[in-house]
Amino acid sequence: MNNPTGEGASKIKIGTILFSLLLAVFILVQLICVVTHTTLPALITSILSEEIQFAIKLSLTTAVISTILCIAISIPAAYALARYNFFGKSLVNTILDVPLALPPLVAGVGLLIFGMTSFGRGLAEIGLDFVFTPLGIIIAQFFVNVPFMFRILRGTFQSINPRYEHVAKTLGCTEAQAFWHVTLPMSKNGLLSGSVITWSRGIGEFGAALMVAGATRMQTETLPIALYLNMSCGELDLAIAAATILIIISLVSLFAFERYGGFARVF
Amino acid sequence: MIRIENLSKDLGEFFLQDVSLKIKDGEYFVILGPTGAGKTILLETIAGIYHPDKGRIFLNGHDITNIPPRERNIGMVYQDYTLFPFLTVEENIGFGLKLRRISKEEIKHKVDELTNLMSVSHLLHRYPGTLSGGEQQKVAIARAIITRPSVLLLDEPLSAMDLRTQDFLREELRRIHHIQKLTSVHVTHNQTEAIVLADRIAVMMNGEIVQVGTPHDIFSKPLNEDIATFVGVENILDGEIRRNSDGIAVIDLGDIELDAISDYREGEVKIFVRPEDILISKKMQESSARNSIRGKIIKMTNFGAVIRLQLDNGLIASVTKLSAEDLGLGIGKEIYASFKATSVHVVKKTEGNEI
Repeated sequence: MNNPTGEGASKIKIGTILFSLLLAVFILVQLICVVTHTTLPALITSILSEEIQFAIKLSLTTAVISTILCIAISIPAAYALARYNFFGKSLVNTILDVPLALPPLVAGVGLLIFGMTSFGRGLAEIGLDFVFTPLGIIIAQFFVNVPFMFRILRGTFQSINPRYEHVAKTLGCTEAQAFWHVTLPMSKNGLLSGSVITWSRGIGEFGAALMVAGATRMQTETLPIALYLNMSCGELDLAIAAATILIIISLVSLFAFERYGGFARVF
Repeated sequence: MIRIENLSKDLGEFFLQDVSLKIKDGEYFVILGPTGAGKTILLETIAGIYHPDKGRIFLNGHDITNIPPRERNIGMVYQDYTLFPFLTVEENIGFGLKLRRISKEEIKHKVDELTNLMSVSHLLHRYPGTLSGGEQQKVAIARAIITRPSVLLLDEPLSAMDLRTQDFLREELRRIHHIQKLTSVHVTHNQTEAIVLADRIAVMMNGEIVQVGTPHDIFSKPLNEDIATFVGVENILDGEIRRNSDGIAVIDLGDIELDAISDYREGEVKIFVRPEDILISKKMQESSARNSIRGKIIKMTNFGAVIRLQLDNGLIASVTKLSAEDLGLGIGKEIYASFKATSVHVVKKTEGNEI
């Protein structure tokens, strides 16, 4: 419509819009293919099956716990890197970004080998056994997803003028109270969107979890693992059920992220 | 009373250097200085946000240098309001009282009382984001003074507002100060604010306090050329003292001679005359102790209410629009520029002008 240069620009407009439509259709087709592969009754039966129910529960629990871990560790870490200058700060920033670029499989191998060291075995002896256990799934999700939470929170804290804390302190807050009563409430949107993205990525985490926790039916079987196991032995209905649930969770998270992600940026 | 002794703080980009000040009880003290002079760090160091590298701060006789901000009982107001966006106006104002574990009823009572005084009681249930700049700043001031601090620190409190709101809020600050008699330290680069509000002014440049005095001292008797330029003394001329009789010095400016009140008896000097102290007339003004110099207008700049005249003898004067019309001023017109000997401020022309 806004077409100051006449016909040439209009061709570009039509061409580029065509590309965007094609891309949208391509994505939509994949989703529809998955969801319509079986009949609705079969889908419902599969979702209610013991195996998929187990996978749903395991996925939800591990993702919630790993998200809480990500929040608990990222809040202080992100605050330090947003507010203070210290020796080695840029190095720390770079290292904290590494899991973003690392293929999850490699992260999983690293965690697995770490679990085999004498330190890892020592942890196992005091009950923190994460090799081929559900705890391994949580650790894998944490490792792969913590940079997302960290980056969102760092950006959020950086965007809050330290003067809010200064004023809070003159009004009677200790440093901790200033953070708790002022900075944290002001970070609400960052925390929400960070949690949503970390949680939904945790639900979908496959590579690292596969390496550390293995793919054992009814033991370390999260939704992606259930999809993988059932796909490989031809149980298509169960695989589709797992895939459908993963699609629903992704769409809901995407909606929530768009809703609260106003201030937050991952990259 | 605040006593600051030899305060130094280096934050890299901004710094304080050996700042010493005494601010009296109930005084409205303005720290005037250009952007980047270190004014904000000075306030933040007084508030306890930064620990000084050197020096001490005393509040009512107590050394507060090592006391955390929350125990200093000092209120702080920033240029950008810094109201907590997730709290209502009422909760913002009551924030400090709530931390002091004062009962809900009492907080409500105090908030009502203060917001009535400051005419913001109709805003109590709104969130800061929905308020105008002037309203937000009033709320920020209310939040800072409700705990009855010993000192109120204001960091460029009017700078983020349009001119009309500035005028209005400046009057509000005066009125509130008059009622509450709160010792206030107000930092600004705006000279009008300093003139209207200040009991005393300290001029700050490059991290140092360079002059302290009444508004009249600062604006008419700046200690050196840098201060003079900053406070708007547009006539800064070089001269040499010829003679001095009974405190009236005769200064040779090259082509002209001036009378000035000064104790200096000889030597090279700088003289400062504010443009608004110069009277423009068509005829010579006959009077003792008054300088009257002939000149030709070479440039006229209209600032709305006043017109700035530049004369061929180097002087700059300002006249009201009305008197410019009455006198029929125009480029090329010959006029007389007259000013009292007391309007001429003389300083020694050496580099040792700092205090």
